[in-house]
Amino acid sequence: MRLFALLLVVFASVASFAQESPYFVTYDYHMEEPGNLDLEVSATTDVPRSGQRYYFAPWTEFEYGVTARWTTEVYVEGQTTYGDSTVFTGWRFENRFRPMKREYWINPVLYLEYENLNEASRIQKEIVGGGSDITSPNSELRNTPAHELETKLILSSDFHDWNVAENFIVEKNLSKGEGFEFGYAVGFYRPLATLASGSNCRFCRENFSAGMEFYGGLGSTLNFSGRNTGNYLAPVLSWLVSDNSTLRFSPGFGLTHESSPVLFRFGYSYEIPGIGSKLSKLFEGKR
Amino acid sequence: MRRPSTFVVCSLLVVLGTMLGQNPEYRPDPTWRAPDDAARKVNPLANRLGAVPGGKKLFLRNCAECHGDGSGIEKKHSADFQLPVVQEQSDGTIFWKITNGNTGRGMPSFSKLPELERWQLVLYLRTLKPVPSLR
Repeated sequence: MRLFALLLVVFASVASFAQESPYFVTYDYHMEEPGNLDLEVSATTDVPRSGQRYYFAPWTEFEYGVTARWTTEVYVEGQTTYGDSTVFTGWRFENRFRPMKREYWINPVLYLEYENLNEASRIQKEIVGGGSDITSPNSELRNTPAHELETKLILSSDFHDWNVAENFIVEKNLSKGEGFEFGYAVGFYRPLATLASGSNCRFCRENFSAGMEFYGGLGSTLNFSGRNTGNYLAPVLSWLVSDNSTLRFSPGFGLTHESSPVLFRFGYSYEIPGIGSKLSKLFEGKR
Repeated sequence: MRRPSTFVVCSLLVVLGTMLGQNPEYRPDPTWRAPDDAARKVNPLANRLGAVPGGKKLFLRNCAECHGDGSGIEKKHSADFQLPVVQEQSDGTIFWKITNGNTGRGMPSFSKLPELERWQLVLYLRTLKPVPSLR
């Protein structure tokens, strides 16, 4: 009975504004609203270079607003490589903290993530060091664990309806001695209209946001350099499909020989408002 | 005895965070004040009543979950916008509060909305002011 009530809570929730930023890699300073759960299904795929294989790497995110300044997320991910195999590549546990109470010219956010992955991971949620190994077979990669700690310094601003965000990434693989790996992501976007219409239109400009991301690796403490790393320039687009769901799409164009020629990313997110308080009520004891 | 896996520990942390993150009791925060220059700002949409329906749409999407639908019944013990203590605040003050939130007390920042949409919200909130009954 409680399971049924739980399902009702999840699927019969009232609408909530769920327009996510169109970024796939870059983080801005906007946090999940407290008590809201955002479910996201996304995927990365690519156009391979000759001799490489096409792959499809989906992931699912559960993003929850613990407080107005603390957002936590759990990811599970996998990948299929054409002509090879389908493998589960691990999970991630991420937390973002916004130290400042008010809005400032630049708003910092601290990011800490634990990753329990294997080297077959190809979602490329971020690119650090030299990037993912996309040439070795899954049978070899899946048996190589990658327990990683990742931190980011997120700096972000809203300026005349433009969002600008810069991320500095440091990652440490606890499973093997790769030193500290570095990466970056920079992005900007803007809604296509800044005044809401009174109608519930789906194709109005106000429901679309567009921008650009630029991300890649910066080597490691063993070899700090932008050389031999993946770097991408990626236009981003999001569409508020309904009051609580958003579609996002981004083609990323590789800028170096180590990059894939084109990375395609797409995602769908669905926001469930106030799930924390609803669950609290559901499971509180009889008085 | 077998130790719990890291995944189980992380899942428990998420559940604990879910429970701790709620704001069961709302009390007005006397320290939540807009700076004077922000409070003096004038709503650039003040004379555009055609923008009110858009403001209502934004209100229902963003605010109604906590503040109710404007009918005077609020949820989660959040402020009722029909109250004089809200309606007596200047447009600039309300705009500043929407923009910054009161993150220590559970009210998130809505700076992710474009500036004009936040002013649209202020415009709509003014329509919630109760009309005094005629006797």
